Parts: sequence; structure tokens; C-alpha cells
Amino acid sequence: MTDVQQHTPSIHLSGEEPRVLPNGEREFFFDVSTSDLEVNMGPQHPATHGVMRVLLRTDGELVTGAQPHLGYLHRCAEKIGENVEWLQYLPYTDRYDYLAAMNNNLGYSLAVESLMPDLEIPRRATLLRTICAELNRIASHLIAYGTYGLDIGAFTPFFYAFREREWIQALFEKICGARLTYSFIRIGGVFNDAPPGWLKEVAAFCDVFEEKWREYYDLLVTNHIFVMRTKDIGVISAEMAYDFGLTGPMLRGSGVDFDLRRDLPYMAYKEIWDAGAFRIPVGRGAQGTLGDCWDRFDVRVQEMMESIKIIRYCLEVIEEGEVIGDVPKVIKVPAGESYVGIENPRGELGHYVHSDGGKVAVRCRVRAPSFVNLAVLEDLMPGTLLADSVAIIGSTDIVVGETDR
Amino acid sequence: MEFQAIVDRLRALEAPGIVSADEPRPANKAEKDPGRSGRPFLVIEPDKLVDFLRVCRDDERLAFEILIDLTASDPGADEPQLWILVELLSVRHRHRLALKALLPKENPTLPSATAVYRAAQWHERECMEMFGVTFEGHPDPRNILLPDDWVGHPLRKDYEFPTEYHGVSCE
Repeated sequence: MTDVQQHTPSIHLSGEEPRVLPNGEREFFFDVSTSDLEVNMGPQHPATHGVMRVLLRTDGELVTGAQPHLGYLHRCAEKIGENVEWLQYLPYTDRYDYLAAMNNNLGYSLAVESLMPDLEIPRRATLLRTICAELNRIASHLIAYGTYGLDIGAFTPFFYAFREREWIQALFEKICGARLTYSFIRIGGVFNDAPPGWLKEVAAFCDVFEEKWREYYDLLVTNHIFVMRTKDIGVISAEMAYDFGLTGPMLRGSGVDFDLRRDLPYMAYKEIWDAGAFRIPVGRGAQGTLGDCWDRFDVRVQEMMESIKIIRYCLEVIEEGEVIGDVPKVIKVPAGESYVGIENPRGELGHYVHSDGGKVAVRCRVRAPSFVNLAVLEDLMPGTLLADSVAIIGSTDIVVGETDR
Repeated sequence: MEFQAIVDRLRALEAPGIVSADEPRPANKAEKDPGRSGRPFLVIEPDKLVDFLRVCRDDERLAFEILIDLTASDPGADEPQLWILVELLSVRHRHRLALKALLPKENPTLPSATAVYRAAQWHERECMEMFGVTFEGHPDPRNILLPDDWVGHPLRKDYEFPTEYHGVSCE
């Protein structure tokens, strides 16, 4: 046994002298130098989910540093917001988080409406907004589900996720004519009423999706190989999440029970919560350490089911009525300033809007959840293996259109 | 807690740098005041902002664990000041607080809040490139969204659009 061990080639650090074996020969020698190496991940890398570059510093297989470089998709959204009329800016909001455009429309509309105390939003509009926002949350989380599997190496779930997402997009196409950039939720309400039978189609989608969801959960979330790849890596403690200002599933994955829809409710969410229609999934450390990649992923997948419950509640209570309040064609917003944050699929989407009473905003700031959530990478990556870096970046679920705006 | 209760608590704690509360008010036609809608802001001295944030974070009854947003605003080309706007959120008590600090446009400088909230790091980098605000003691003061050699601060109201960039005409 000892002989075998002596003849087994071993890895030496460069500069170390090879040992002389008992038979007089010098030991077989791998000269592996492990100096620092800088690796560019991106800008065109499938796992960065867009045009983003992460500069990784590696020592062998170990990542010793990561520095995200952004700005490749910077389209000056905030500057545009200061140069176009209030309603004209709405289509630009579609384009920051292009996977959840309904939610972006909603965030901007609510921010502008907060400056217009006289404007009343009809109840049917509020419920249609809720249905669309939650449908879009499901579509967005389906992408997160599918592409995260893809990052890890599971190809099949991606196709199933896109099949259901296609259905949601078809529903959106029927209600507003667009499949990705909707501009449907407007200042004052929604653009138009749902076409006849649309609400029934949404109910049919909910029925099918509920059934499929259980299969998807078993297919990927509790899949043994997937769990082995994602548990105990990229651990974010609750303190770290607070410090970096993480919100949404990133925060809840660390075991913090906080959701703006329940804790600082807007629209009809207080009523929906009080009716006991949904709950808030929170990371529990069920497969490993609390706050690891698996927990964040699990929270997202469970949220889809909660969204279905919210939609079902809205479908139950929705009645006929107006869908847009009394808004002129060219909106003049009273002077004032306000910050309004809503729960987007990726965290808190905030708009700080400042009006001087005119047709154009003085300042239109976008607090993008992906931008803030991405900053944690700088601290999260050092000390992990290179092979895990893709899993960690994937678990932040960023949309680069939103980080760069 | 509501805004007024938070301000009272901060005053009782003698939090440094409180100037005034900027609250919404109805329009007054007699005095030609257009009024102000929206949410209340607490105005803070910029030099004391970091100490103020530390009080907000560490006090048990305020417990602002998260710095949601830090940004600046240029209210107009004729205005003498830039605004620094901070949004805080308490997960434990489920309340928010919006802060505002007024800075002179000439050489706007304030200490970096990175030591209190790490979340401020990227927000401050964005503020630096977009408004030309200097955050003293920032650990990584590079541009974040703009190229490193970009000239000017695009979100300032007196910003002039470039006519060319690296030999490419933009007109």
C-alpha cells in the first residue's frame, strides 16, 4: 500500500522540489502553477441572462473575487423620463424589466397617481390590474424557473416553463394586443376592458396551471441532482440581505418574512390578504443552509402558486364597471414629489417622481430591484468554486434591462 | 409608525442634523401657492446624513434595516441646490421614511453612507456619475452605468449633449 502511494503522481506547487523515490528516480511531477487568473464572464454569456460582464478572479478552481460590470444596456430611462410627457413615458417602463412589464407599468402608474389625490381608480380597474400583475409574476417566475434549470444543466423544465408562459402571453395578447411590452396599465386605470370571455380563460389557465405546478415542483425543485447543485452555496444571511438592501425573493429566501403586498399594502392587496387568499412563502433552509441558492429558488416557485390564489380571489369578486378614471388626454400632474415602491417579481420596484405641475416630470427615478440585488455578488462569490458561480448568478434572477435601465 | 411619530421619535433621540419636515400641503390660491402633493420628506443636513442614518438603523423602535434607495435630483437649471433623496424601510415595524438633503450645486460633497448601509455603494456610484456629487470615503468611486471616459453629468439640468463620442457623430 505504501509503495502505491509513493508512486501515485501528486500535484505540487511550482517551485517545490520533486521528491526522489526509493528506486532512485525522481517523482513524476505535475508543475501546476496556481497564480491568480482573471476571467471575463460575459458580456455575451448565457448565464448572465443578458449583456452583463462579471470579472472573476480565480485561483485554480476557486473564485477569489467577482466584479460585475454593468451599463451595456443603459438606455437613459431616467433622462427620457424628464423629457417626455407623463403618459408618453409609460412604454419606456415596459422596457426595463421586460419579463414583468405589467408590474413596471403598475409601479409607474401608482407613483404618478400618488401625486393626483383627486383621481379615483375604479374597482374593476384595480382588480384587472391585480390579475394582470399576478399573471405577469407567474410568467416572470416561469422564466426564472426554466432558465435556472438551464444554467444548472437541466434542459427539460425550460420547455415546460415556456409552454405555460406562452399561454399567459396569449392571454395578454387578447387583452392588450402585445406579448411582451404591454403598456396596458395606465395612469388612472387600465387601457381597455377585458374582451368577452377573457376572465373565463384566465380561470381555465389557473385550473391547468395548478395541476402542472405540482409536476414542475417535483421535476426540478426537489430533484436530487438539482438540490445537490444548489444547496449550501451562495448563502445570504438575513443581516447580509438587510445590509445590501435586498428585496423580494432574495430577501425572503434568507428567511425574512416580508412582502410589500401584505406589509405595506397597495391597491386591493389588503382586502385579498384579509380574506386569507394567499400566504407569503419564506425560505426555511429545508435542503441545507438557510439563505442558499435552493431557498431563493424554492421561494420563487412557491410564489407562482400564491399568485394563482390571488387571481382566483379577484376573479371571484370582480364586477362590471368602468376601467379607467377621469384622466385627460394630456395629463398634468399637480406639483409634488413622491416615492412609491411595489412588489415586483424581483423585489421592490420604486419610482421617485417629482412634478412641478406641468406636463413633464422634473425627475423620474427608477429604483430597480435587479440593480440592487446584483450588488451582493461582490461579497457572495469569493470563496466559491468556479462551477458554482453560474448557479449563484442564476439564483439572483436578474434582468439586465433593469440593472442598466 | 406614521411619519409624524417617526419624526417625534427622532427628535426625542436628538438625531443629528434634522432641519425640518417637508410635508404635502393643499393649494392656496390667495397666496398663489400651487400646493404640494405626494409623500412627506424629512429634510436633513447633508454633512450629518451618515450619523443620522446610523441612529435610524440602530434604534429599536425605528429599526430601519434597509436602505431602499439613495439618489439625487436636480430640481431645475435655475435652482441653486441639488437634492439627495434617501428612502429607508423597516422590515420589523413595517414603516418607511423618506429623507432629503440639500446640497449646493457648486462642488456638492457629502460623506459616503457605505459604512452604515452597504446598499448605498452602487447607488452612490450612480449618483456620482449622473449628478457629479462627491461621496467622501467611498470605497470604489468608479462609473457604474456610463463608460469611464464619459464627459459631464447627464442628469444635471445644465447638461449639454455631446456632439461626438470617440469619433462617432451623435448629431
